Amino acid sequence: MIQTATIDAGPGHTESPGLWVLAWRRFRHDSVGLVSLYVAAFFLALMAASAAGLIASDWGKEVGVSHAPPGFMGPGTTVTPTQRAAMSSASPEVSRGKERDDSGIVDPLADVLVQIRAKAPPGSVDTDVADPLADVLAEIRGQSGSAAAAEARAPTLIFGGDKWGRDVLKKTIKGTETSMSVGLAAAALAALLGTVFGALAGYYGRWVDDVFNWFYSVFTSIPYLLLILSIAAVLNQKGTMTVILILGLTGWTGIFRLIRAEYMKHKVREYVQAADAIGASNTRRMFVHILPNVSHVVLVQLSLHVVLFIKSEVVLSFLGFGVGVDTVSWGSMLNEAQSELLLGNWWQLAAATIAMAMLVTAFGLLTDALRDALDPKLK
Amino acid sequence: MIPMRSDDILVAIHGLRVSFRVDRTTMFEAVKGIGFDIPVNSTVALVGESGSGKSVTALAILGLLPKENSTIGPGSRILYRDRNLLELSQGEMRKLRGCDISMIFQEPMSSLNPVFTVGFQITEVLTEHAGLTNRQARARAVELLREVGIPEPEAKIDAYPFQLSGGQQQRVMIAMAIACEPKLLIADEPTTALDVTIQKQILDLIADLQKRRRMSVLFITHDLAVVGEIADHVIVMRDGEIREQGPVHQIFEAPRDGYTQALLLCRPQLARRPKRLPVIDDFLNRAPAAAQDAPERSRGLRGDEQIVLEARHIGKSFWSREGLFGQREFKAVQDVSFKLAMGKTLGLVGESGSGKTTVGLTLMRLHDASSGEVLFDGKDLLSMSPREAMQYKRRIQIIFQNPYSSLNPRFTVGQILMEPMQIHRLGSGEQEHRDMAYAMLEKVGLPGASFFKYPHEFSGGQRQRIAIARCLTMKPDVLICDESVSALDVSVQAQVLNLLQDLQDELGMSYIFISHDLAVVKYMADQVMVMNEGKIVEIANSDEIYLRPQHPYTKKLLSSIPRGWRGPGGNGDRL
Amino acid sequence: MLAYVLRRLWQIAPTLLGVVLLVFFLFNWVGGDPAYLLAGKISNPEQIENIRRQLGVDQPIYVQLWIFITQIATGDFGVSWATNEKVSEIFASRLGPSLTVLVPLLLVDTLLAIAAAMLVAYWRGSLTDRLVMIGCTVGQSISILVYIIAFQYVLAYQLGWFPVQGWSESFTENLFKFSLLPIIVGVLVSLAPDTRLYRSFFLDEINQEYVRTARAKGMSETRVMWVHVLRNASIPIITNVMIQLPGLLAGAFLIERFFSIPGIGREVLLAVERSDFPVIKAVTIYVAIATMIINLLADLMYKVVDPRVQLK
Repeated sequence: MIQTATIDAGPGHTESPGLWVLAWRRFRHDSVGLVSLYVAAFFLALMAASAAGLIASDWGKEVGVSHAPPGFMGPGTTVTPTQRAAMSSASPEVSRGKERDDSGIVDPLADVLVQIRAKAPPGSVDTDVADPLADVLAEIRGQSGSAAAAEARAPTLIFGGDKWGRDVLKKTIKGTETSMSVGLAAAALAALLGTVFGALAGYYGRWVDDVFNWFYSVFTSIPYLLLILSIAAVLNQKGTMTVILILGLTGWTGIFRLIRAEYMKHKVREYVQAADAIGASNTRRMFVHILPNVSHVVLVQLSLHVVLFIKSEVVLSFLGFGVGVDTVSWGSMLNEAQSELLLGNWWQLAAATIAMAMLVTAFGLLTDALRDALDPKLK
Repeated sequence: MIPMRSDDILVAIHGLRVSFRVDRTTMFEAVKGIGFDIPVNSTVALVGESGSGKSVTALAILGLLPKENSTIGPGSRILYRDRNLLELSQGEMRKLRGCDISMIFQEPMSSLNPVFTVGFQITEVLTEHAGLTNRQARARAVELLREVGIPEPEAKIDAYPFQLSGGQQQRVMIAMAIACEPKLLIADEPTTALDVTIQKQILDLIADLQKRRRMSVLFITHDLAVVGEIADHVIVMRDGEIREQGPVHQIFEAPRDGYTQALLLCRPQLARRPKRLPVIDDFLNRAPAAAQDAPERSRGLRGDEQIVLEARHIGKSFWSREGLFGQREFKAVQDVSFKLAMGKTLGLVGESGSGKTTVGLTLMRLHDASSGEVLFDGKDLLSMSPREAMQYKRRIQIIFQNPYSSLNPRFTVGQILMEPMQIHRLGSGEQEHRDMAYAMLEKVGLPGASFFKYPHEFSGGQRQRIAIARCLTMKPDVLICDESVSALDVSVQAQVLNLLQDLQDELGMSYIFISHDLAVVKYMADQVMVMNEGKIVEIANSDEIYLRPQHPYTKKLLSSIPRGWRGPGGNGDRL
Repeated sequence: MLAYVLRRLWQIAPTLLGVVLLVFFLFNWVGGDPAYLLAGKISNPEQIENIRRQLGVDQPIYVQLWIFITQIATGDFGVSWATNEKVSEIFASRLGPSLTVLVPLLLVDTLLAIAAAMLVAYWRGSLTDRLVMIGCTVGQSISILVYIIAFQYVLAYQLGWFPVQGWSESFTENLFKFSLLPIIVGVLVSLAPDTRLYRSFFLDEINQEYVRTARAKGMSETRVMWVHVLRNASIPIITNVMIQLPGLLAGAFLIERFFSIPGIGREVLLAVERSDFPVIKAVTIYVAIATMIINLLADLMYKVVDPRVQLK
């Protein structure tokens, strides 16, 4: 039997600790948990600042030379056309972006030209097939050329630059905003759906349960990534909102299953029967009585799903089905990193990987610490 | 302590201290320096309520305390013959476990490995310690099963634990424990989770084995009645300390410690029915032992009392799936009829599975009855619509068995008490609700500061009081007590029973008192109903039923009650 | 038992119907007229018209649904919009390579995870335990993309220990040469989450009362872990492995794509890029059916593993 500690109270009252206060006290002693909480909070602050436009809002500007190395490494060499062609032919499936040259003007025929040139015998590069738009482009470039040339291109950036000379650090920060907002919003949506569905199914049982279980079976018969890709293929529309909806509307199944099991367990507990005995309605029992007793499960699941969705978003963006082209994501950074590696330029890969690893690890450890604080068991 | 010759002593414990780490900053001392001896060929009973440290002591002997958070104090010694068990290596300790010293536990269902057969688990001990081959071990296992009273042992040896009843599972545990002829058998509350009739069988089995094999038995329990039947020596523990120890006749005839006296006398006895049960405080504060001469309360129905509630032919069946399309019916309650007299208590007695709890839940409409009527105030409660039933809901209330799960852990006591008032719109506003809540707390004997506390800060007995207070806020006419004191320690039980009786005297409520504990029911009830397998077997006034039981099942039930110590010259029921 | 199987098959029908409806809803309703989608990808207008006719785009929705259902029933999903190969043939030929990589991957990962989890559960609370758990958490936080890119770059491209990509006709060469690096990467990625999960299974079992009984009988810690605990923990572990089986059929998309393994996963990715609906629909339906059947098999397997289970 538990040795209880009764608080000796005088005539006035002292607020006595409920579940959350007790959990916080336990959490405070968990140093790993605290550190991960701070890290997660830091990333949240970063996301907020970035979203508000306070920092990294000019990530799109090409302030460095192409492939500018990080400051601590010293200036490197620019890419020659031969090297660029080698990169394109080495991974043709990957370079979906349109070809640009240093001035930033887009040649809409570039894709086609590359394909045609690729079919040409190797060794002959940049010859034979003329770009019919060349004259027009030259004119345009001439007009804006002075503007572009006027800005000095930095030889190195803090953490390096990408192919177009954009600051990798700023991209990373912007990517944080993307990933975190997608992760949090999608997780919130999935948690809301999963909790409500689970509560209804677990509490009412019978045909209500059957209906929800049917949905659950249908959704889980298809492997997760396949389902997401199918939806992405059909929608054929990119954008942060789309990603959030896709992830949230398919990711509720795990939470549903857990909350349903919890409700089934609690429904037969005596305190719920007691509530029935004193005349509490079904809705009251579900949301006033039982919900506070499962809220800690929801919280842990929320945290887990944030991690899951961040990782999913990165994969989706990598494959090109995620956020739009004008939004930075760690996924698109990794995409670019592939070809950069062949040149030996590792910094974009490193930046995205480290940032993502830190955030996901922090959330992962935070989830563990939350679990232990809310439901301590003999480990 | 009566000194004994040293070669008579099997195990000697000196200065044992055990502490547990509760969280990062607090240690809790469960055993505070105790010492006692276990002689050869005798039964020593270690008696105490929950939290007394008795189980911890037993686990310490075998070195089974969780090493992560338990510490045994330096200076503790547990001597087995002449070896200090606390100083042995893991390997040496393992050789003793199951072989020289074995242990059986309280919950046989969870103490047996669910995925291995009974035979596997018994032969394991034999092959490990006795060096038998598999074939020899299997043969020996069959013999052991026969010895502990399992029918058809050759077949049952390949059964899985879930296929056996609770009593049979415990017999299997015993078979495993005695397989290697241990010198000491530690039994940690082995019968607490079993029905009364089965309990008796297991107790007899253990006593029989003890005599035949000349084993020592360390029997741990909270039930003094059981102790009186089987023990040679008794040790009484409370809060990690030994209050008193000595031979059984001394403990029962001339207890010296106040706590021991309290344990002996707080339980309702079959022979007497004082108006109030003595509680621990009476003894610890050295109140005069006037308990023996306290005025008695008479109980029984004359037959002309006003009826407040009448049940007619209540039936409840549960259905489970069978085959492709079929269903199987399990009749939990069949054709139960009774009348509840106003201001009186109707006791409902039965073992687990008898349907007594189902009857209570059906009266409250917490289960839907399959058939029958419940007449209250001229109307049939069971056939009303839910809206109609709401008006009657507050007039019949229930107190559940488990004080740890009947209060919402996330509500404060204040919220728990005020909720019924809010739902039924009693009183006129928040302030009046608060006042009523405080008044209820006072009525059940809890301090006003409890209003802001959470259930986990209270003990089992206090939680039952909160549950009672919650019911009182609605001023019910009928109160159903569903095993409401069964999960409580003896000393606390007495307090709650006294409270319930006081409330009945003051408010005139009618009670339906459901329990498996015959002594408690006799104490509380005017009329007693005995149930077995869903049917009512016998109804009579409580005095009648205990003196002159008619039905064979009732007789069997009554004969299984542990009578306590019947020493030479004693006449039983001394308990 | 037979009654149980029959009842379960009967219950599969509504789920299957649900999946069919979902796929139909997605591809025929939301996806709608493919002409718009394909305009940029297929230059032959006649071809596009063909496709539209096959789908019955101009016909009422329920006719389209009927067309779809007959397709599933006969197993004929038509041809790929991109390559004109019969979809069923695509599926059949790509299944082999996927399994060649994924079956060994699953085996190795499960065995390693069980071993690691058991060790760590045994030393629970110790520094080793905490370090391993934190290591797992960090390992899980690195995207699979990074593992693939990094390992491919370092071990194959730079050091040359493994081929960068490729596949051949010979089974043994595929298994022992081309599959090795993909399997290693795959195991690394799934080892962390599986170890954590299995560790929690083991811990749940270690805290049970029957473990205390086994110790009270004088069994050694080794025996307690390897015989008593493992046997009980194997139940949720087997469940977990069964859940991963349908994934084998869907293929490990990213691994196949990066290592140019001609498996189903890679095919799906290509199909998604090219908006090649027949392929995606077919794979989705096939995998869904396989999932339901595997779930049924898993439940039957329960009976073998857990004697308490009574299938009714």
